[in-house]
Amino acid sequence: MTTVSITARPLLGRRRTRNPLVIGLVRHAVLIAVLLVMLYPVVWMVAASFRPTAEVMNSLGLLSRNYTLDNYRNGWSAGQLDFSRYFLNSIAITALSIAGNLFACSLTAYAFARLEFPLKRVLFGLLLGTMLLPYHVTLVPQYILFNELAWMNTYLPLVVPKWLGAEAFFIFLMVQFIRTLPRELDDAARIDGCGHWRTFSRIVIPLSLPAIGTTALFTFINSWNDFLGPLLYLNRPELWTVSLGLNSFLDVTGESAYGSLFAMSTLALAPIVGFFLVAQKLLIEGVATTGLK
Amino acid sequence: MKSSRTGREGLTAYVFLSPWLIGIVLLTLGPMLYSAYLAFTNYDLLSPPRWIGLDNFRRMFTADPRYLSSVRVTLVYVAVSVPLLLIVSMALALLLNKGIRFLSGYRALFYLPSLMGASVAIAVLWRQIFGGSGLVNQVLGVFGIERGSWVGNPGTALWTIVTLNLWAFGATMIIFLAGLRQVPVELHEAAAVDGAGPIRRFFSVTLPLMTPLIFFNLLLDTIHAFQAFTGAFVVSRGSGGPADSTLFYTLYLYQQGFAELKMGYASAMAWALVIVLAAFTGFLFLTAKRWVYYGDER
Amino acid sequence: MRTRLGTTALACAALLVAGCNGTSVTDDSAGGGEGQDGKGEITGKLQLTFWGGANRAAKTNAVADMFVKEHAGVTIDRQNADFGNYFNKLNIQASSKTLPCVMQLQGRQLNDYTKRKVLLPLDPMIESGAIKIDDIPKEVVDTGRGPDGKLYFLPYGAAYDAVGVNETLATQAGVGLPPDNYTWAQYTDWMTRASAKLPKGTFAAGSRGGLPNFFIAYQLANGKQLFTEDGKLGFTKESLVEYWTMWEKLRKAGTSMGADAQADEPEGAEQGFIAQGRLLTDSIPGNALTPASGTLATKGGGQKLTTLPMPSGPSGGGNAMFTSGFAIPTNCDNVPTAAAFIDFFTNDPEAGALFKSDNGAATNQKVLQAQLDDPELPELKKRELALYQQIVAKKPPTILYPPGYQATFESTFTRSYEEIAFGKKTVEQAAESFFTEANAGLGG
Repeated sequence: MTTVSITARPLLGRRRTRNPLVIGLVRHAVLIAVLLVMLYPVVWMVAASFRPTAEVMNSLGLLSRNYTLDNYRNGWSAGQLDFSRYFLNSIAITALSIAGNLFACSLTAYAFARLEFPLKRVLFGLLLGTMLLPYHVTLVPQYILFNELAWMNTYLPLVVPKWLGAEAFFIFLMVQFIRTLPRELDDAARIDGCGHWRTFSRIVIPLSLPAIGTTALFTFINSWNDFLGPLLYLNRPELWTVSLGLNSFLDVTGESAYGSLFAMSTLALAPIVGFFLVAQKLLIEGVATTGLK
Repeated sequence: MKSSRTGREGLTAYVFLSPWLIGIVLLTLGPMLYSAYLAFTNYDLLSPPRWIGLDNFRRMFTADPRYLSSVRVTLVYVAVSVPLLLIVSMALALLLNKGIRFLSGYRALFYLPSLMGASVAIAVLWRQIFGGSGLVNQVLGVFGIERGSWVGNPGTALWTIVTLNLWAFGATMIIFLAGLRQVPVELHEAAAVDGAGPIRRFFSVTLPLMTPLIFFNLLLDTIHAFQAFTGAFVVSRGSGGPADSTLFYTLYLYQQGFAELKMGYASAMAWALVIVLAAFTGFLFLTAKRWVYYGDER
Repeated sequence: MRTRLGTTALACAALLVAGCNGTSVTDDSAGGGEGQDGKGEITGKLQLTFWGGANRAAKTNAVADMFVKEHAGVTIDRQNADFGNYFNKLNIQASSKTLPCVMQLQGRQLNDYTKRKVLLPLDPMIESGAIKIDDIPKEVVDTGRGPDGKLYFLPYGAAYDAVGVNETLATQAGVGLPPDNYTWAQYTDWMTRASAKLPKGTFAAGSRGGLPNFFIAYQLANGKQLFTEDGKLGFTKESLVEYWTMWEKLRKAGTSMGADAQADEPEGAEQGFIAQGRLLTDSIPGNALTPASGTLATKGGGQKLTTLPMPSGPSGGGNAMFTSGFAIPTNCDNVPTAAAFIDFFTNDPEAGALFKSDNGAATNQKVLQAQLDDPELPELKKRELALYQQIVAKKPPTILYPPGYQATFESTFTRSYEEIAFGKKTVEQAAESFFTEANAGLGG
């Protein structure tokens, strides 16, 4: 590609007089200002979760004289079981989904990105095609299918599709990532006598850690926040997930519990934030230090 | 020699592909094709579907003004929100790539809104900001500007959904960030040795290497924008209101399928969208040859 | 290449499709037959589904647990979701003939299901004595009937909409409460008089021209029909124009809130505008009195809320009953247990004491009376139930909601008024398009 070749002539005449300290300060100031605006809703929700029921909704400010932990206490024990059970269930489903997506998507993506095989273009077209249909219209046939398979009240409808690479988004994402890796690496491995499996597991996977981290993170968020799947397939309260528990705080035909909703929504954010920090430390940062040597 | 090698490679490929192939045959294709069949039927979920040929498609374009208005709303949304989202996420990915303190803290905080998903709490939070006595109006009030509710006004409601989408730019940003981490350090160093400044290095080294991911984000964000559902569903509480101003295509599809029990019509709408998206995707792949640079090309 | 793959895939899918259809059709015939009179052994698995949040689920579960304790060998799977999601799930379950044996319905959706014949008539079960209706007023039972006159769900709770009034604001504005048997004209006049003297930021009424139940009350008070026999709109365009013009006058005079502000209202009785002290009066569900009063008591030094019957008219009261109850689908394979549970939930005094009229007043008179006689019943709940007794004593008319009512009528009504309030259409134009759209979606 011509665009990568670099010419020595500077593009513009630039003055090199800017003070790095000033630039740093300006950068931080900009970031913090944007953050303040962006995070206001989240902060408001956290603050509201500590306000008594009657005050939950009617104040724009963040402070209150009557802080209380009642929302957390009442919210935690809502439903037939309590949130400790819902959290465990959500964690189990999420962990299985991440493992499934990483397994199926990386294998499939490697084949599409690096291997030549008959019908490749047709199958790739099919892969993309599955992303184009709004999921609402396949809900019903899918429900009929899972019902025929007697998968009701199990985690199978939520997890098995992940192990079979039903989420084309992640396959396509990984294909794009793997294709940014120079082919020369594979060729070198080939010369060293590596087969495709070893090239995949020893070269491509370690170099695709950012892609894997991204996939794991997105899968975590999707599974954790998924509401419709659990609603349709999990009827028994002992199988309930956090999102089902949260939904039970709102009731247009009776009493809603916004305080508990905010309290439990805040707690529900914690595992995702935690996972994000771990994921980015291990994967995004990790690659930066090893680099592409 | 060559052919036997590709033959073996083909076999290996299908081994790698096997989980996905099993999935697509057993789980995905059936429901997809069933919905394609439903597009030509009258199906109310409660009784068996009845074949009606092209009637659903005819009704869509000739006898359903709400359908056309949902198309209009969606097109405006796609045209505005996709470019905004791409530019903002790329800019912040570059800012948050390196060379700044508290990097991981910043990233986590910027990503926080995207973690909230379709939380029911969003409906409340968005009214706290864009409601009649919400944050935005409080700030405007300081400058003596009086405004009504942004969420509740048909002229502005769509823009609050655009903002909501932009607010959760984290997913797109993360993909860019991950891509930036894969740009080999040597290329930057080599460019720097050649005397290229940071701006020039961005355009001649970073940007070309990022094109596969820009392509990915452009394609996927566009598809997602066409299929946008959750934001409008949550904020308008499923109505697409006020006065249909946030009646997105898939939201209308959903209302038709599940509330009005016209699943045949909803399926027809879905497949009409598939055709448009397939054309768009095909077009984008055609142009990709001109501007997307893959590391595996020799 | 592409076409060949396409054909194979199509063939595979066709098989699959045929499979789905085949089973659902055979299921249909297998479900019928024995046990339709609800007599038989009460045992085995039962699935129960209802709408509501955590509070209602706790009460419903307590009743279900009690039933399980009394009938050894019965287990009950319970499912609940909020109102909107409840119906989405129900319809998906219906598509695969897996509707739970005991499913909750209201009159507003009933005929979406009777039209497609997915419900069992309960009349044989009443004749056999499996389900008893002796202690439920006839008018209330009738709300569970389909167009063929058969009973398809047994109402256990009767809700009504009331006019909520912030008594504190009314006193401050010097207008007091509307008189007994007040009319719509008196009601709007009372709002207008109060409006000028209300504190800044409060309105006499919400932007409520698009609220379907309020309009129903208006038509009932004027003795007008709502729907025709074949399920189309039964009132005149003129009466709708008249109604919307009345609301437009209130809105333009600033007596009622703007339509954009109305859209900001949080969901849920305890956070609504009237609960926050921002409105003098609003239409609220009868059971919202307790939660809304709870919030209002913390406003401006403790404000007080009360509920009144809907405005009257030439035909008397404008109140309608909105009942909820349980139905049994045709695909149910455990009809005797389902019938026994429905009877237990509706008629058992102890079950009623546990459920505490959480979803409308208990329809069983004895259950209701026991609650009213309970000295521990909170004052506000007593007010809610007493008002119900007052309304039911007047024998309110039964509305037969046509198929498509909830999906088409309600949403189109709300949207059409929004188009007026935001200046997109005149009242006449909106009424015209409302009639076209609603009639296209209703009945059939």
